[in-house]
Amino acid sequence: MKVLAAGVVPLLLVLHWKHGAGSPLPITPVNATCVTRHPCHSNLMNQIKNQLVQLNSSANALFILYYTAQGEPFPNNLDKLCSPNVTDFPPFHANGTEKARLVELYRIIAYLGASLGNITRDQKILNPNALSLHSKLNATADIMRGLLSNVLCRLCSKYHVGHVEVAYGPDTSGKDVFQKKKLGCQLLGKYKQVIAVLAQAF
Amino acid sequence: MLTLQTWTVQALFIFLSTESLGELLDPCGYINPESPVVQLGSNFTAVCVLKEKCMDYFHVNANYIFWKTNHATVPHEQYTVINRTASSVTFTDISLLNIQLTCNIRTFGQIDQNVYGIRIISGLPPEKPKNLSCIVKEGEKMTCQWDPGRETYLETNFTLKSEWATEKFDDCKTKRDNPTSCTVDYSPVYFVNIEVWVEAENALGKVASDHINFDPVDKVKPFPPHNLSVSNSEELSSILKLTWINSSIKSFMKLKYDIQYRTKDASTWSQIPPEDTASTRSSFTVQDLKPFTEYVFRIRCMKEDGKGFWSDWSAEESGITYEDRPSKAPSFWYKMEPSHTHGCRPVQLIWKTLPPFEANGKILDYEVTLKRWKSHLQNYTVNDTKLTVNLTNDHYIATLTARNLVGKSDASVLPIPAYDFQGNLAESKCYLITVTPVYDNGPGSPQSIKAYLKQAPPSKGPTVRTKKVGKNEAVLEWDQLPVDVQNGFIRNYTIFYKTNIGNETAVNVDSSHTEYTLSSLTSDTLYMVRMAAYTDEGGMDGPEFTFTTPKFAQGEIEAIVVPVCLAFLLTTLLGVLFCFNKRDLIKKHIWPNVPDPSKSHIAQWSPHTPPRHNFNSKDQMYSDGNFTDVSVVEIEANDKKPFPEDLKSLDLFKKEKISTEGHSSGIGGSSCMSSSRPSISSSDENESAQNTSSTVQYSTVVHSGYRHQVPSVQVFSRSESTQPLLDSEERPEELQLVDNVDGSDVILPRQQYFKQNCSQHETSPDVSQFERSKQVSSVNDEDFVRLKQQQISDHISQSYGSGQMKMFQEVSAADAFGPGTEGQVERFETVGMEAVIDEGMPKSYLPQTVRRGGYMPQ
Repeated sequence: MKVLAAGVVPLLLVLHWKHGAGSPLPITPVNATCVTRHPCHSNLMNQIKNQLVQLNSSANALFILYYTAQGEPFPNNLDKLCSPNVTDFPPFHANGTEKARLVELYRIIAYLGASLGNITRDQKILNPNALSLHSKLNATADIMRGLLSNVLCRLCSKYHVGHVEVAYGPDTSGKDVFQKKKLGCQLLGKYKQVIAVLAQAF
Repeated sequence: MLTLQTWTVQALFIFLSTESLGELLDPCGYINPESPVVQLGSNFTAVCVLKEKCMDYFHVNANYIFWKTNHATVPHEQYTVINRTASSVTFTDISLLNIQLTCNIRTFGQIDQNVYGIRIISGLPPEKPKNLSCIVKEGEKMTCQWDPGRETYLETNFTLKSEWATEKFDDCKTKRDNPTSCTVDYSPVYFVNIEVWVEAENALGKVASDHINFDPVDKVKPFPPHNLSVSNSEELSSILKLTWINSSIKSFMKLKYDIQYRTKDASTWSQIPPEDTASTRSSFTVQDLKPFTEYVFRIRCMKEDGKGFWSDWSAEESGITYEDRPSKAPSFWYKMEPSHTHGCRPVQLIWKTLPPFEANGKILDYEVTLKRWKSHLQNYTVNDTKLTVNLTNDHYIATLTARNLVGKSDASVLPIPAYDFQGNLAESKCYLITVTPVYDNGPGSPQSIKAYLKQAPPSKGPTVRTKKVGKNEAVLEWDQLPVDVQNGFIRNYTIFYKTNIGNETAVNVDSSHTEYTLSSLTSDTLYMVRMAAYTDEGGMDGPEFTFTTPKFAQGEIEAIVVPVCLAFLLTTLLGVLFCFNKRDLIKKHIWPNVPDPSKSHIAQWSPHTPPRHNFNSKDQMYSDGNFTDVSVVEIEANDKKPFPEDLKSLDLFKKEKISTEGHSSGIGGSSCMSSSRPSISSSDENESAQNTSSTVQYSTVVHSGYRHQVPSVQVFSRSESTQPLLDSEERPEELQLVDNVDGSDVILPRQQYFKQNCSQHETSPDVSQFERSKQVSSVNDEDFVRLKQQQISDHISQSYGSGQMKMFQEVSAADAFGPGTEGQVERFETVGMEAVIDEGMPKSYLPQTVRRGGYMPQ
C-alpha cells in the first residue's frame, strides 16, 4: 500500500501539512542544490534532540486521548485494535551515521506527519467534539513540522542534501469509520513506539 | 395623463438641474499635484493651470492667479508665471502638517474667484523600528513588539514578518490602534529557530528593522505553578512544606522557581534564595520560620537557564507552622489585698497572656507554684490570668509557667516578701532596694540600689599581699571586703608601708581598685605594709604584711653573664681560627718537620739541574748561591704508600744497584758513570756533562713534606757521600713488587728507570719498555740530563709552580701507556739516578723522564 507522491496525499499535505515539509520528492542526487531562507542555526542537533524528547513526552498522552475518544471497543481491546502493525513504515537504524540517521528520521517524520494529517481530518469528522484531541493532534503536527525543518536544515547545511525521497502511509479517506479509527489508533501506537526509539537515538 | 405630465415635469427638472450643476461644478482650472504628500522640511511646488474657457469667460490669464494657504494669501515672490495659463507657487521648508492650498483669480478687478484647491499632507518617512522583542506565552501565540521610532504624522503600516530557514510564515499586520505589537496567527513551535523582523511603511518610504533570530523556547513565559499547597510538620515547628503542580511545559523544558513568603500580617515578601530553587521540582521546604505562625506563599517559574520570562505569580496559599513550647515566661506580679486577718493575708497574683510570637501555640493553662521558705509547696493550675491566694505573713516564692500543646515555658519567679519586712532593718547592713514599676500592660524594668540604714567603720581591714616584687617596686593586691564586714560604703583605702628603720608612708587608693604599685623602693630591703579601708564613718586596718625587695632586678644577672660568655666564646673562636689559618707558620716555629731518614724514599734525581728549567721556585729560593749547581732529588710523601715502606724500597733499590746490577756503588747513576767516587758537578752544563763521566754527583733529597705536612724548610745540599748500599738494595724486585701492588703512578717509573740504568747491557726484546728505553739512554749516559722534581701532594705541587705539575703529569701519562711501541718509548728518556742518605737526609739519584722537545741527551 505504498503510495509514492501521488493520489490524495498531496491534497492532504495542502490541507493539513504546511508548505514544504514532507512534500513527496523525486529521487534526486544527494548533493543537489539546497538553499535556505537564512543560515541554519548551529545548535540544530540539540534542537532535534529536544524536539524528539518533546514528542516522546506527549506521545503516550496522545495515544490515550485518541483511543479514549474513539469509545468502545477501543479502550478495552488495544492489543487487537491498536497494535502497532503499520506496514511500510520507514526503517530506522540507530547505529548508522548521523547523515543516515537524519535521512531516516526525515522519512519517518514525513510519514508520521502525513498520517497525522489524515487522522486529524478524520477525527474532526468522526469526533467533532473531541477538541482536546484535535488540539493535541495539531500540536504534534506542528512539532513535527519544526522537526522536519531542523532535519532538512541540518542535512542541507552540513551534508548538502537538499531532497530526500519520502513515502507515505495508506490513505484513509475511502475507509469506513471503524477502519479509520483503527488505522489511526495503530498509527499512533506505532508513533508512540518509534518516537521513543528516535528520542534515544539522538 | 396627469401622471404622465407629472413624470415629464420631474424629468425635465432633473435634466435641467443636472445640466446647471455640471456647469457650476466644472472648475476653472486645476492644481498639479492633486494630492501631495510632502516630507516635512522639504520644498514643494504646485502649478495651477487655467482652462481656456474660463480665461475667456473671465478675461483673465495666469498673471491673475494668486495662491492662498489656509485662507491666507501667499506672497507674490513665491509665484512663477510659467505661461499664459499656468502659474506655480513654491514653498520652502514645509513645516505645517496639513495645508489647504487654493488657486484663485481676481475677476473683474475686484471679485476673487477660487479656481481649485488641494490639501498638502506633510510628514516623515518611517524610522527603522528598534528594540524588537518577542514573547511566547505558554498556551498562546507569539507576540512581538517594537519601538516604532519617531512620529511620522502619516499613516504608517507595520508588518511583522517571520520565517524558518526552510519556510516563510504569513505576515502579521498591526492593528491601527496598536501599531507597535503584533501577535502571529500560528502556534509557536519550540526548538526551531525563527527569524523575525518588522517592516514599517508609509507614503514617504519603507524601512525594515534588524532581524532577530531565536528559538521560541527561549522566549517562553510559562504558566505559573498551580495547586500550591502548604503543610506543616509536627516534628519541626520551624518548617513548612510547599507542593505544587508544574506546567506541562516541564516535560521538555527545565524550570527554576522564585518562592516568596510573608507572615499573614506583613506587607513585604521574603525571598527564598534563588540558588535553592534553581532546578525543576514540585515541592520545597521552607525553613527558619517562627512556630505557630501563619505564612503566605506564592511561587513563579521560568526556564532554568534564565532565558525567557518569569511566569505570573501563582495564587497565594497560606499555612501555619506547628506549635513549639512557649519561648518566654509570662510577666508576673502580685497585689496585696488591703484586708487581712491575723496571720493571713490575701495576695492576688496576676500575669499577662503571652503574645503569639512568644506563646508559640495556644496556651492551654498556667501553672502557679507557691513556695514558703524551702519547704511547703502549693500548686495551682489556672486557665485565667490571675489567682488569689491566702498567704501567711511569711516570705514566699511564686513561680508561673505557661503550657501549650508542646510543652511549658520557663518559670517566671516572683518573691513575695514577708509581711513584717519593714520593721527589721538593721544598721550597718547593706540592703538592696528594688523598685519595679507596674504599668497597665505589665511590669516595667526594675531598678535597684544598695542602701545602709546607718553606716559604721568596717569590722575588718583588707588583707594586702604582694603580687609581684621587683628591685625598686612592688605590686600589691587585695580583695574587696565582704559585704558583711563593710558596714558601709567603702570610700577609699590607705596603704601604709615602711622599712625597718624608715618612716611610714601612706598612700590613698580609690575604693574601686584592688591593686596598687609601690614604686621608688630600695632594693634588698625589708618592707612592712598594711592597709586600711574607710567608710563614711571611719576605717579599719588590716593585717601587716612584709616583703623584701630583691638585690637584682629580674634579668639583670643574665644581662651581665650572657654578654661576657659570648665575648669569651667569640675570642676563643677567633683564636682557633687564627691558629688554623697560620698553622703552617706555627708548625714552622714550634714543631718543624724533621724528615725521618728511615721513612724517606727516592723521588727524583738530576745530576745536572739546569737553572733554566722548571725549578723556578727553587731557583729563586736558592738563588743566594748556597746551593749553586745542585742536582735536586726530591722525595715526597707517598699518599698511597706508608712512608717507611718507601724508604725501605729505597734501601732495596740502593742495594740492587750494588749487588744485582753489579754496578760500582749502586747509588743512582753512579753505576752508569765511569767512577763510583763522589763528584762535584759544576754549574756549567757542558762541564757538568763531562764531570759526570768521572765523578758521581750526590744530591740532597728534599722532602716536600712528611705525609701531608709541608716542610718548614726545604733543604738542598750536595752530598759526596760514599755511603755503602743497604742490604735491601740487593733485592730490587721487591721494590718493584711493592710499587706495583700500590699501583702508584708516581713511584713505579722511578724504580723502573733505576733498574733500567742498571741493566744497560741487556738488549733482549722481552725487556720492558723502560729497559728498552734504557738502551737509548745508555748511549747518552754522559749527556746532560736533568731531574724532574716529583710532587705527590697537589697543594705542594702547586706551591712549586705549574711547570712542575706538568712534568709530573707527563710521567704519569707515560706510566699509563705501559709496554708499548718503540715510538712511545722514544718519547721518554731515561736517566740514571743517584741517591745518597747523608746525616739522616735521604739522598738519592733517581731516573728521570725527559720529555721530547725538552732537554735531550747531547
